[in-house]
Amino acid sequence: MKSGKTLLILSILSRFSVIGLLCALAMLTEYQNLKKAYNHPRLVELSSGRAMRVFYETADSFFSLFGDPAETARRSGGMTWSIRLMGAPFTDPVAALSVLAKSRHWELGFALGLVAPIGMALVFGRVFCSYICPASLLFFAIARLRNVLGRYLYFPDFSIPGGFAWGILFGGLVAAVWIGHGIWSLVLPYFALGQTLFQGIAFGTLSISLGSLIVFSILDLCLGRQFTCRYVCPTGRLLGFIGRRSLISIRREAPLCLASCQSCADVCPMKVNPKMDETVDCSLCGECLVICPTNCLSIGLRPKKILS
Amino acid sequence: MGAVIPVFFPLLELLPKGSRFKKFLRPPGARSEEEFLRDCIGCGQCANVCPNKCITLYGLEGGLENLATPKINARAKGCILCMACTQVCPTRALDKLEPTPEGRQAVAMGTAFVSEDICYSFAGRTCGVCYHACPLPGKAMTLGLFEQPHVHAEHCVGCGLCEQACVHMPQAIRVVPKDNLSKTEAEKAAVS
Repeated sequence: MKSGKTLLILSILSRFSVIGLLCALAMLTEYQNLKKAYNHPRLVELSSGRAMRVFYETADSFFSLFGDPAETARRSGGMTWSIRLMGAPFTDPVAALSVLAKSRHWELGFALGLVAPIGMALVFGRVFCSYICPASLLFFAIARLRNVLGRYLYFPDFSIPGGFAWGILFGGLVAAVWIGHGIWSLVLPYFALGQTLFQGIAFGTLSISLGSLIVFSILDLCLGRQFTCRYVCPTGRLLGFIGRRSLISIRREAPLCLASCQSCADVCPMKVNPKMDETVDCSLCGECLVICPTNCLSIGLRPKKILS
Repeated sequence: MGAVIPVFFPLLELLPKGSRFKKFLRPPGARSEEEFLRDCIGCGQCANVCPNKCITLYGLEGGLENLATPKINARAKGCILCMACTQVCPTRALDKLEPTPEGRQAVAMGTAFVSEDICYSFAGRTCGVCYHACPLPGKAMTLGLFEQPHVHAEHCVGCGLCEQACVHMPQAIRVVPKDNLSKTEAEKAAVS
């Protein structure tokens, strides 16, 4: 199997597991409630039914592996914005910027949460977009839907300047200072998805962010493949900027590459052109590795000096 | 160009609309409303960790500035003052408090007010449910004749358990959020 195909499967699996993790974290609310209220599987079954008992016992035995279940359960939580996994914090860079703009200080744990995302961007570039971002899985599915419907209908593929996403980042910061951090749930796709999942699972309510998610999906379907990822999402633009000189990137063996072949540039969801040795905004999704007829593309350490 | 879109939503807020009198409480540890809204990023961790499931998140009913921030609807479910939410808040929008008597006393979410005209005990029909729900009995609330509740504002933390427990419909005891209290006090001072 080609390495590109492995990467594609890996990226889909990892994004599904991120969605699973978000659902599990939202269900922690239910578990903590049952733990505090009943603290016994039999009582849980009597009050909330058989399915809840199975859930309670599973969660209880899982958290018992690490010590006191109630204490351990409390150490994880959150959604895409700011998450704690077994006490380790992870912070969204846009959230950090938003807090910096509005309240001009960072808590220690909040700032430490930035280490992992920024370090990942420095080493791998924009991998967040194709391996972690749960919303990009939705857009990935919509891109496939576009391919299928494209046989019968015409879907345009627009390009707009990359500065649009910088504008959204800047405008979002202005709006956050003006009216509050809630603005991001309307303009950030993964935050909207995380919030929809969280509100839906933890409280059984529909969140307004579902509306913005639908708008993003329609944009994606009508304006271009992964339009939102490329031109709307400020986090992707920010991570692409941080990782523009990433340690690991896509490499091309120029002697093998066919002069007339443009398939990698056509297939790239981020509209990066590996043929011209462009690697800015590359999310290492592996689509070009799959399509390349001569296997001249690979993923490895960034070459010291790019020959043109 | 792109900057127009996020700024466009707050502009919608400037449109005329009905009054937005907030009747929901903030979680324990929140300072003034401005400071809370400045620091809260709406990550939902307080709602996630709440074992009582009393913290829920705002939708659009409180306007855009409250979107995704936590609220406690005291009539639906009051706060049990376990302080789990204050331990996990990443931006210190909720001050860290311990689940000790001192920590509980430091909470200021609002103050309970009794509507004496509809309260059963004040009509001579002994009730006292709110007193038995109060986590700080004897301090925040004392009982008079026929178990009439008397709230002592200096000790009442505004957890809302009394409002949740009240058997009268509508509730004869209400927790007024701290923010609304300071607003009405400012209005009173302006009038007099």
